[in-house]
Amino acid sequence: MPVFLTVLIAKSLLNLSRLIGRGGGSALPGLVAEKLDPQIGSKLAKRIPHGSIIVTGTNGKTTTSKMLARVLTDSGEHLVANRAGSNLSRGVVSALIEHISVSGRYNDTMGLFEVDEAAMPAVASMVQPRAIVVLNLFRDQLDRYGELDTTAGLIGRGIAATQAQLYLNADDPLVASLASYATNPDHVSYFGIDDVPTTKLSHDVTADSNTCPECGRALIYSKSFFGHIGHYRCPKGHIKRPQTAVSADKITLNDRSASFTVQVEDEQHQAKIFLPGLYNIYNALAATAVSNGIGISVDSTLESLSHVQAAFGRVEVISVGSKRLYLLLVKNPTGFNQVIHTFLLKNKQQNVLFIINDNFADGRDISWLWDVAFEELTAQHHTIDVSGIRATDMTLRLKYADIPVRATNDKVGQALNQFIDQLPENGTGYIVPTYTAMLDARKKLGRKVKLSGVWE
Amino acid sequence: MSATKKSTAKKTITILHLYPEELNIYGDRGNIITLTKRLEWRGYAVELIRAGVGDKVDIKSADIIFGGGGQDRGQIAVGQDLQRHAKALHAAAKDGVPMLTICGTYQLFGRGFTTLEGLQIPGIELFQARTIGSTQRMIGNVSIETPFGRLEGFENHSGRTLLEEGQEAFGSVIRGFGNDGTSGKEGAVFHNVYGTYLHGPVLPKNPAFADALILAALKRKYGISQLEPLDDTAELAASETAMMRPQ
Repeated sequence: MPVFLTVLIAKSLLNLSRLIGRGGGSALPGLVAEKLDPQIGSKLAKRIPHGSIIVTGTNGKTTTSKMLARVLTDSGEHLVANRAGSNLSRGVVSALIEHISVSGRYNDTMGLFEVDEAAMPAVASMVQPRAIVVLNLFRDQLDRYGELDTTAGLIGRGIAATQAQLYLNADDPLVASLASYATNPDHVSYFGIDDVPTTKLSHDVTADSNTCPECGRALIYSKSFFGHIGHYRCPKGHIKRPQTAVSADKITLNDRSASFTVQVEDEQHQAKIFLPGLYNIYNALAATAVSNGIGISVDSTLESLSHVQAAFGRVEVISVGSKRLYLLLVKNPTGFNQVIHTFLLKNKQQNVLFIINDNFADGRDISWLWDVAFEELTAQHHTIDVSGIRATDMTLRLKYADIPVRATNDKVGQALNQFIDQLPENGTGYIVPTYTAMLDARKKLGRKVKLSGVWE
Repeated sequence: MSATKKSTAKKTITILHLYPEELNIYGDRGNIITLTKRLEWRGYAVELIRAGVGDKVDIKSADIIFGGGGQDRGQIAVGQDLQRHAKALHAAAKDGVPMLTICGTYQLFGRGFTTLEGLQIPGIELFQARTIGSTQRMIGNVSIETPFGRLEGFENHSGRTLLEEGQEAFGSVIRGFGNDGTSGKEGAVFHNVYGTYLHGPVLPKNPAFADALILAALKRKYGISQLEPLDDTAELAASETAMMRPQ
């Protein structure tokens, strides 16, 4: 089928699904287009004038894409980008179709795609990006991907199918090892953090890939930041943390922002981002490394980054009357530990609502709750409610950390109402949901207050 | 604290966690937390020993031995290292030391694991069972019937474990895949040594099984024949939720 016909049909579908209001119709047109012409994605991606960038990894895809979008847009690029969450092949194809004109041309200049780890082999070979950035690899939905090494292998296959410049997190041993998949070893550069002001949570056991990819022996860490992120080497000398091209140091953190210096080549630059936590510094470094690679100056990159807000649901502050609610998404033990570290150790007494679901998009296996460092909260005196499909599992986990729970209620609407009602006037509540629980909680909160963010 | 409490507090159980760094990604350490807390709540002290590849370990000092699941990479290193302890682990098993092995460690407590690529990872042959890699990943909620009642867990493995004639299974599959997806058998038992594919982790939601391991350890070390009951309302509520979730 000729390209223009496939595009025309898929575009009509897109308009139709918008017309009947089916959630923006982000995946269906791509799905149909690929059925009509399996090569449609690569045919369209080729037409983007300045090429494309792919962002992948377990945590931070959406935030990093948001950062890069800001930097690239500020530098004058117009972007073809997929919607957060539509990060499989059909989501990317849908974006390619949505942006192309009926005459078959892009008015946009560059593609920016966040891509699910498992979709990398298909999407990378389809898009043939000029750059791929890999943020980190943590266990996340092992029920969907199998093992972490399998996930790494999928990303590797994607990398090997391209000529892309690679930007890898030096501090994550599994990510750094992906360099071996590069078609040209000169096309690899690393970003990382030199040192951190925080100490690793004493109960952090989430070192998911802390063994040598060559020999399986436990790695030796000279610095350990969180999970398996840090400065490492194999006791037998197989691997060690590579030299970084872009690095951060002199970090100061609070619950709203992070300040640090960025070292690129021999120059130091001062950076401030209005996103909390070490993980967002990694996201900022990734964005800086990529934009530096395509010729945007470090200072203008950092200026753009200082205007980026948190990706929706990751860290969101919502006001209900005089009460303030933080909405903090958790997906895996490492992310959960970051939330504990950044938000739940501020005061002795905080109000917290955990909402744990086990739907497909959350990961159906909730074993990971037992690897979260809840023991950090044992000495606090937080008031804790628990909700979600797996509320009883969460309550049980807290019991074994000697943390009492005020109320366990699997009905999210009721639990939210009670939690908010019982917050003191002018008080702050921390709501910590898994992915589908976050969508549910947001929907229910949306009936009480107007929410600023839209899911796109 | 009363004098009697004081004297029981002196009773210590040593838990040996095998390869906590190498095999650690499925939340199985929840089993260690559960054993520890359920002993502490009853007034016993717990000493935890963590032993990795190459570490010097005194298997004889352990009252309970645990090993969890991990990735193939970790398993290869562990398979070789575990051979150092084969003799001592056999002796401990015959001496009645309770052991819980999950997924990867369970496989290595059998005759070994043959991966899809044909790589042979040797086991220590406590179980008369062999595991072979398959292309099918057996994933989902799983329920099994055992001497300790119905257990709820989550399985996630591609290895198919085949029990040999005469090797007793740990339980029978109510729903899910179990050892191999076809035999209806789950896990293996030898004296007080249990092998199973149940993550979840298995012990928090199945307190009767946790207490059986604890009692076996206390009986062997201190001649104790009965455990003080605990309030298991939260445990059973979580078990009930798991039971209601689709496979």
